[in-house]
Amino acid sequence: MKNIQLPMSPETARELKLGELVTVSGLLFTGRSRLHIRAVEEDIYPPIDYEKINCFFHVGPVMMKENEDWQVVSCEPTSSIRFERYGADVVKKFNLRTLIGKTTMGPRTAAALKEVGGVYLSKIGLSGNSLRKQIKKVHNVYFLDELGKTEATWIYEVEEFGPFFVAIDAQGNNYFEQLADDVSQRLPEIENELGIGQDYEFTEVNA
Amino acid sequence: MISQKTIEEAMYEAMRTAALEMPPDVRAALERALAEEKDPMAQEHLKISLKNADLARRGEGLVCADTGFPLFFVKAGANTQIEGGFGAIREAAENAVRRNTAECYLRPTMVDPLRRSNPGNNIGPGMPKVELSFEGEGDGLEIIAVPKGGGSEIFGTFYRMLFPSDGVAGIKKFVIECIMNSCYAGKICPPALVGVGIGGTADLCMSMAKKAALLRPVGKHNPDPLVADLEKELLEAARKLGIGPMGSRGINAVISLNIDCAVTHTAALPVAFNAQCLVGRRWTALVSASNQIQLTGEIA
Repeated sequence: MKNIQLPMSPETARELKLGELVTVSGLLFTGRSRLHIRAVEEDIYPPIDYEKINCFFHVGPVMMKENEDWQVVSCEPTSSIRFERYGADVVKKFNLRTLIGKTTMGPRTAAALKEVGGVYLSKIGLSGNSLRKQIKKVHNVYFLDELGKTEATWIYEVEEFGPFFVAIDAQGNNYFEQLADDVSQRLPEIENELGIGQDYEFTEVNA
Repeated sequence: MISQKTIEEAMYEAMRTAALEMPPDVRAALERALAEEKDPMAQEHLKISLKNADLARRGEGLVCADTGFPLFFVKAGANTQIEGGFGAIREAAENAVRRNTAECYLRPTMVDPLRRSNPGNNIGPGMPKVELSFEGEGDGLEIIAVPKGGGSEIFGTFYRMLFPSDGVAGIKKFVIECIMNSCYAGKICPPALVGVGIGGTADLCMSMAKKAALLRPVGKHNPDPLVADLEKELLEAARKLGIGPMGSRGINAVISLNIDCAVTHTAALPVAFNAQCLVGRRWTALVSASNQIQLTGEIA
């Protein structure tokens, strides 16, 4: 399995294939809805060097303070598709070449990733407890008081973090699109077996 | 008489254990699914999820970091007596959730829906949600704690008012479409435990769907043979879609499909769909009248 050094180079991103399993090492930042909304609508975002910390990890970790140090209890990637409204703008604003999350993102974000030459990596199974062990250091946290532990932006240093699979490549192709087409092709036969006619329509009562 | 302290302790322990352990029936179903899947990525999704559960059980994390909505389903008998009356259960639930959140067994996830402010303790109007019901002549309490994950609730909740003329075909079409939509890209974290409610009012229908998804052991069918046949037929159809664990190419998008029914208006055919994710978190505390607490991952 390929281990990719962060920030991911444009060359590395271009070479990644849909469905390929990878791990990443280096610095990343976390966030979810609030970071997306505030960055686009209010121009409020963590004051970090986005060329250096270029990987956006979609997560709301469980964090615990022990003495003066923050510990990660568990960190399960969260559903990225929720951020589609703001995804493309955030990718372009920070020139992000690596997104890590759960599920996938939509066509606008895929187009933005193609534009900047970035990829979207999706999680394999539930892995929050293994991922936690691959976080070597919690470097910083932003907006903790305003947003709370779950929505705050954490800066993690990770080592062989993953595995994740390439769900959107740097050419804007989406792993799940072909899969969904295959499912749609099976549907008529399944419906037929269930006794649902191909011309079946629900009764519509709304204009 | 059951003391408030006992109820709080039972709720605390049930919720804490639910956050740390996968129920045995769900785990066994995932192991069967792993043996069945052929696609390497489908297998990998399950292997890593099972390993994650092992780590949680050893005290190295949580079965899933999204501990979601804190729900309690409480059942009392006709002879159950509670110190301070049944209203005391509400306060016990709040204390149990507050403690679990402070100790990081629950992530502070509940926020005000409009302000988006987070009190940091998972407590607010409506949460934790406590549903109290009565059954039988007993004098104890059955408390089932369910940390209901966001993915399955957010992407796996659907309702449609069908009409009698839409027929059983309409119910089947609705359910299959819900499974396809909610499993796309692994949104509800499949293999899912699916609950379907048919009949009643809109709220009763959804409540039946939710309880069918959360509170029935994997493999147990509805006692009504007509309903059980529909469960089996729809589960078999779901397995043919070609969707596997976490939306990969595979078989096990759904590992259990449970339907519950209520009588409804002669003009109506309401159908509701609610999904539970692959970890199927729920843990039971049985409380006796003598204040003994027994925790179990088994469910009746």
